[in-house]
Amino acid sequence: MRFHVVKRDSCPLWKRLALYVGAVAAALVLGGLLLLALGVNPVAYYSRMFTMGMVGNKIAYKSFENYLKVFVPLVLTAVALSLAFKMRFWNIGGEGQFILGAVAASAVAFQAGPVLPGAVTLLLMCLCAMLAAGLYGTLAAALKVKFGTNETLMTLMLNYIALYFLTFLGETKATWNFFLDPTSARPIFVSFAKTVSFPRIPMGKFGLNVCVLFTFAVGALVFVYLRSTKQGYEIAVVGDSAGTARYAGMKVNTIVLRTVFLSACLIGLAAAFKVGTAGILSTNITDDVGWTGIIVAWLAQMNTAVIFLVSALIAMLQYGSDVAAATVSQVDSSFANMLQGAILFLVLAADFSTRFRVVLEGKGGRKHGA
Amino acid sequence: MEQQPYAIEMRGITKTFGSVVANRDVSLTLRRGEILALLGENGSGKTTLMNMLSGIYAPDRGEILVDGQPAAIHSPEDAKRLGIGMVHQHFKLVDVFSAADNIWMGKEKAGFVLGKNRYEEIAQTARRFGFELDPKKRVRNMAVSEKQTLEIVKVLYYGAKVIVLDEPTAVLTVQEIQKLFGVLRRMKEEGHSIIIITHKLNEVLEISDRVAILRKGEYITTVDTASTNEQQLTEYMVGRKVDLNIDRPVVEKTKPLLEIRDLTIRSDEGAVAIDHVNFYIRGGEMLGVAGIAGCGQKELCEAIAGLRPIQSGQMIHKGENIVGLSPKAILDKGISMSFIPEDRLGMGLAPSLSITDNMILKSYQDTKGPMVNRKKGKIRAEWVIEELGVVTPSADTPVRRLSGGNVQKVLLGREILAAPNVLITAYPVRGLDINSSYAIYNILNLQKEKGVGILFVGEDLDVMMALCDKIMVLCHGKVMGVVHAHKTTKEELGLMMTGALDLTNRYEDKPAGFARDTNIPPQQTPEKEEE
Repeated sequence: MRFHVVKRDSCPLWKRLALYVGAVAAALVLGGLLLLALGVNPVAYYSRMFTMGMVGNKIAYKSFENYLKVFVPLVLTAVALSLAFKMRFWNIGGEGQFILGAVAASAVAFQAGPVLPGAVTLLLMCLCAMLAAGLYGTLAAALKVKFGTNETLMTLMLNYIALYFLTFLGETKATWNFFLDPTSARPIFVSFAKTVSFPRIPMGKFGLNVCVLFTFAVGALVFVYLRSTKQGYEIAVVGDSAGTARYAGMKVNTIVLRTVFLSACLIGLAAAFKVGTAGILSTNITDDVGWTGIIVAWLAQMNTAVIFLVSALIAMLQYGSDVAAATVSQVDSSFANMLQGAILFLVLAADFSTRFRVVLEGKGGRKHGA
Repeated sequence: MEQQPYAIEMRGITKTFGSVVANRDVSLTLRRGEILALLGENGSGKTTLMNMLSGIYAPDRGEILVDGQPAAIHSPEDAKRLGIGMVHQHFKLVDVFSAADNIWMGKEKAGFVLGKNRYEEIAQTARRFGFELDPKKRVRNMAVSEKQTLEIVKVLYYGAKVIVLDEPTAVLTVQEIQKLFGVLRRMKEEGHSIIIITHKLNEVLEISDRVAILRKGEYITTVDTASTNEQQLTEYMVGRKVDLNIDRPVVEKTKPLLEIRDLTIRSDEGAVAIDHVNFYIRGGEMLGVAGIAGCGQKELCEAIAGLRPIQSGQMIHKGENIVGLSPKAILDKGISMSFIPEDRLGMGLAPSLSITDNMILKSYQDTKGPMVNRKKGKIRAEWVIEELGVVTPSADTPVRRLSGGNVQKVLLGREILAAPNVLITAYPVRGLDINSSYAIYNILNLQKEKGVGILFVGEDLDVMMALCDKIMVLCHGKVMGVVHAHKTTKEELGLMMTGALDLTNRYEDKPAGFARDTNIPPQQTPEKEEE
């Protein structure tokens, strides 16, 4: 039997939504089968995972606070990446930029924390993290603009430089290394001063970290920036056709450098939020947001509002599976990664079916011709 | 008489792409040893139909008979086996391979090792059909006509008895077209059957035995070439009477708007693309630029628009130097450039953006503040849709969803709305059908009547001779002369395009390409500068 793929003219919104929801459901079913094979009741596992252990829990608000700690860096990184992706600049260096941002913020926390007021220190941390990450990202953009290098390779390799730099800081016991605990014989990171932590707005027992508010504000700004500003318009044109942009008199190189700097800056901000909330540096500080952020941005097709939605879901998967793993010992928290992969794969398949349909070349098709 | 089966018979072919019907119930017959011209406007489904014959698409409905036998063509290999070969409009060749290797790589039984004898074998095939082809020459070093020859030899090497040529003449000069037609006639005498797709009616009448006409995906009729004429073919194609005359309004000419002196430009590869060129455009004048593809037209347009640095020379607009100005500054002086490249979308439009967004491409910076003002763009988009008859669901539709003719109208509409005084337009009707082409000629003529100076870089000599006031011929970056469009002949232009005829010194009383009433003061001319 033969079949061929035919392009769809249009796909109604309800059908698209149904396909996406169906894809997520199919991924969950797939995961459920896997759970069954492991001898775990999938319904119990999933309900634990999606409620993130908040139901029937006396300290449910704690769970939600922790969930937001996963959500904020992820959504901010994904929003930042979408800026560059809109311009078809494939910044896969989110990890490296995040690490540099985190290191810069930590350096400020250690150096300024003890002398300056907490609020000033936190502000300084954000600014330095943004600058460090921004410049690190611009490095790849500058090489591309100047020498036409491939930004995918460059940002990827810069990731490893940043990662091993962080490892070096974490494993080198020396008098200059203020990142480590001086009282410990083994090299371990030391916590920031108690004042260096983003404040929380109390709402009953629950405390809303101000970072969450800032994140939503940044999201709104980026949404408007991409949609209604001249610079956002330039990003769209350069991404669509650099030749056309040049022809229209746009300074393409400047636009590329500016946009990548901005994108990396926001990743730096995410890193500052992360360390400023955790109060300590660690070698796995990124939580892979540089990678997961790429997936989120793509799943959301660079739409800022949708990025918030997708991030909320992915963060729920990640944090929820951590919680569930605590009670179901057979299943590792990496189950979330598998599920995430399955969802991505199936959503892409759904995306394909919104644009194409498969037609079987059976007898029916040929009848009329004869 | 009709006992001999057709070489190809297509019956009731239907092919849809989404809700677009590319072919609806099309039937077509091709006799043995005939040349059939396939005629139709853009989007009438000619290429789709031929792609089904050569196995690239599969029909949704209908059947194809080869030599009277039903044939299942599911892939290009199937087509090859049945002796059907197609020469595509955009050549399918590997640039870094030699001619012989481009043919060789399609051979299934060629074995694992490349033998030296392949050159001789290919050369023999070429000689047998009367082609000149160096089998060792790399495709990247070939001229367009050589590439086409290679494509034809490739098809013949694999024993094609039925050959489909998709717009083969679009890239050739007059002389090369005659050579190609000679080859086609010889192939026909040897019993090959040929289907040729072209927009040019004079070529259809010259080369074909019969003409099949498609309109909007439907089969209209097939007529004997001997019993038809251009007017009738156009009516079949368009579905109504069409005036085939191109107007050339006479407009009071003003002083030179744009003067080019001793201009030299290098191409991307560093070769001299434009070589010491002199010319000028007056207001109310349309200057055609003729030349074989790649003779510096693109570089010239880009240099005037400020997109490409020049090596030496002067570009003077209304007495002011524009060399070294930014594209934006040149735009603000009223020099507008639109270039339709071969892929039709590469320059001038952002395909994924809406018509509205494309309208503000050159003017988005003109409003104050950091925000984009799309209101103006919307008004302009609606004007263009209304005035130029752009077929689109709305002004918010991405440009890439529009058909070729509509895309070009959008581009030209934006350029006109910028109210330029010099309009540089390269290949504005590239690939357009008769209706859309005439709409574009009209737009250009209206601009000329408003006193705009127009530089029209074109391909079709017949059109340029009817539309332009003067024609400048380029050959390898050099001006071979500027002739009056109503006095010249196609043969003369063709000879100039190949460099065989140089008319630059026809007017002895003034230097070629220098206006008598120039805006350039004498002390600025290069001669004086050197003294």
